[in-house]
Amino acid sequence: MSEVAPATVEADAAPPVSVNVVHADIRYRVFQDNFLSARQMVSRGFRGRQSVDVHAVDDVSFQVRAGEALGIVGSNGSGKSSLLRAIAGLQSLTSGLIEVRGRTGLLGVGAALKPALSGYRNVMLGGLAMGLTREEIDAEMEGVIEFSGLGDAMGRPMQTYSSGMQARLAFSIATLRVPEILLIDEALAVGDMEFRTRSLERVNQIRDEAGTVIMVSHSLKEITDSCSRAIWLDQGVLRMEGPAVDVVAAYEESV
Amino acid sequence: MSATSRGDFPPELHDAHAAMRLGPYLRDLWERRSYVWYESVSELRSRQVTNVLGNLWHLLNPALNIFVYFLIFGLLLKVDRGVDNFILFLSTGLFIFQLTQKTTTDGARSIVSNKGLLRAIKFPRAMLPVTGAVTEMLSALSSFAVLFVIALLTGETPSPRWLVLVPLLAVQFVFNLGASFIAARLTTHFVDVIQILPFFFRLVLYASGVIFNVTSYVDEGSGVRVLFVLNPMYCFITIGRWAMMGGDLDLWVVLSGTVWSFALCVGGFLFFRAAEERYARV
Repeated sequence: MSEVAPATVEADAAPPVSVNVVHADIRYRVFQDNFLSARQMVSRGFRGRQSVDVHAVDDVSFQVRAGEALGIVGSNGSGKSSLLRAIAGLQSLTSGLIEVRGRTGLLGVGAALKPALSGYRNVMLGGLAMGLTREEIDAEMEGVIEFSGLGDAMGRPMQTYSSGMQARLAFSIATLRVPEILLIDEALAVGDMEFRTRSLERVNQIRDEAGTVIMVSHSLKEITDSCSRAIWLDQGVLRMEGPAVDVVAAYEESV
Repeated sequence: MSATSRGDFPPELHDAHAAMRLGPYLRDLWERRSYVWYESVSELRSRQVTNVLGNLWHLLNPALNIFVYFLIFGLLLKVDRGVDNFILFLSTGLFIFQLTQKTTTDGARSIVSNKGLLRAIKFPRAMLPVTGAVTEMLSALSSFAVLFVIALLTGETPSPRWLVLVPLLAVQFVFNLGASFIAARLTTHFVDVIQILPFFFRLVLYASGVIFNVTSYVDEGSGVRVLFVLNPMYCFITIGRWAMMGGDLDLWVVLSGTVWSFALCVGGFLFFRAAEERYARV
């Protein structure tokens, strides 16, 4: 591991650093399924499952301050989701350091917590797993139903929901307890116009209340609308960091 | 739409991956007790929801279970050698055995079947095996209600000794937690554990004297007998039978069962927690 720099000393005026990523490196070892026939397996001595090293995030460093929204752009498989999951503390780093100030909340796609259970129970279980009490969740339930617009569908298993309905409910669950740092992984993409508008309003509100938002999106307009700054990941490497409009422009030019 | 934050996360910059110290981890786990309770109760409610007889199955299931075992081992194979009340003998052994079997099997699935929750929310992962253990303990309460009915029907007089089942089940719960933690982590390394467990428990079933009386087959003081005393399941079952049917109780059995429980629980918990970060990736 290379030298790990502490968070820079904050100037009086600038809001404090809330996410400090220092030389973050993530490698996975994954098994590759080669779809071999039984005969091929025997001839290869049963080594059909070969492991491959994937270098998902390669020595990435950046900082985000409170009240700031940072966009992350990059093609599929460029390490954006791995990085978000690492900031959320859900994915371990191979080397490097990630520091956060306060609680992180991750909002991902396909975010049914328990697909076989009803929307209502998913909200309840999600909130309880976050450490809220039943009373606190009950108090939020009306707001959740209103925000997600699900109504009677709350009683149906979440696996019967459309991806848009799932996204609405997942957003509600993730913001049950407003995190200091909200991490959004493509979660708004599947929703309709109305949901996207409402959830972006909510995102902006969290950001304005001195929260921090980090947002992965393939909708470059969403990034330029909500984020002041952006980074561009290319095959795990930080290719560019700067004002959102500039980074998005450079990224657009490259594809 | 926001609940008040309780400020359990430090306001200063902190390492998002720092291994949590034991104290805060256990405190966080304790704070999730409403999850454990809510999920256990709703799971039990929903298990029987599609059956016509509904919640009656919580009682019918153990009763039919005993009926089948009694039919095969009591009436057909006649393994009731040296036992006065074979139905009660069998029921006690079977219910105690099945509690550990079901809890461990639940535990084995607890991580791999909760991917959605694990990937979305950060919480002390031990919450999931603990939930399974509580669910199975609650579910077993109906089995033990059936057990008391069987005892009364077969002519046993109620005795304060029956209350020994309460501390016994408490100690066994501690044991089951440990077994669950170990199964939960092992399954994240080899999913095949779920396939192996039924065979493992079939072996334990015969090695713990669930359906036959060990003392009628194995000489007192022999080396084989010592092996039985070292088997925690045999110990729990023997204590349970003593509580329900009386007779002599070897104190070594009590000691062995208790030591096993606490050792397995602590060991299992440490083993489970050592891979805490891995569980979000399964």
